[in-house]
Amino acid sequence: MIQVTEETRSGWHVVAVRGRADAEAADDLEGALSTAVAGHPKVAADLSNVDYISSAGIRAVLQAARAAQGRQSEFAVCGMSASVKKVFDMSGMHHLMRIHGELPC
Amino acid sequence: MLTMLEEVVLLAVDERTGNLRSTREFGTAYALVGAVFFDLALARKIDSDTEAIHIVDTTPTGNATLDRVLAEMARRPDLTTVRAWIEEIFHHRRDLEGEALASLIESGILRHEKSKLLWIIDVERFPMVNDRQQQHVTERLQRAVLSDEIPDTRDIMLLSIAEPCGLLTYVLTDDQIAARKERIRALSNLETISRKVTAAILGLDATMRQAMMKVV
Repeated sequence: MIQVTEETRSGWHVVAVRGRADAEAADDLEGALSTAVAGHPKVAADLSNVDYISSAGIRAVLQAARAAQGRQSEFAVCGMSASVKKVFDMSGMHHLMRIHGELPC
Repeated sequence: MLTMLEEVVLLAVDERTGNLRSTREFGTAYALVGAVFFDLALARKIDSDTEAIHIVDTTPTGNATLDRVLAEMARRPDLTTVRAWIEEIFHHRRDLEGEALASLIESGILRHEKSKLLWIIDVERFPMVNDRQQQHVTERLQRAVLSDEIPDTRDIMLLSIAEPCGLLTYVLTDDQIAARKERIRALSNLETISRKVTAAILGLDATMRQAMMKVV
């Protein structure tokens, strides 16, 4: 289960996610990020309160990054916990999307 | 939409002869087993992390093959690793291939021909009736490799088994594969379950080769 809050700061639409990004939450996560990407030119996914990400969660983030690329908008992932960062590092996600330690805004 | 299992079978069908091809021993069989995992993951029935694979939902998908594998997984809580499951499902590879072929024939994509070689040996072929779906799979894989776009996650998963199982050689030239080696490696590494399935297939292949060497 995840909770999502959204706000716009300095031109960035920040989607703050809280909880476990697993198969149960993947549709909600992908939906929230994709909707944000469809409506805003700069979207940051704030994962600082995500304590677990599974394969399904990674796919949800990838789909959002793909949607952003298709719209030529900016998409960044930021503020990851150590366990989530480990998964992203193992995946080599930085090859396909911007990853920040801090929010870009 | 076709299942990934059906897409793997379509990639293996030689569009000129209707024969099922494999670049090496068990190559297509490994891909079939991996595809079942990916179909279940995309249907949100199984999920994995860096440690293990989990069943998250046992309600049927509506596809008989996937539901049989899912039910079998639910009955075997002792098998907790992707490698253990790959080995278990590998024993049923003929069923997977046969059921996917039957589905593609029923959908009007392939047809079934039986003949005799030298009046004795049964030969089966599966000529293409409608090549639109095979073209679609081929183009998606080509685009995933040759473009710099982020591919759909389904295509990333398909690529991650197509490369180690030898299926990529049916859609790209050796030169194209060599030129995009780094991109193929990066995409195949992206997703946790793809990484685990690929590692399990390579491990099983090494074990099979060692076993065959001992027999020889």
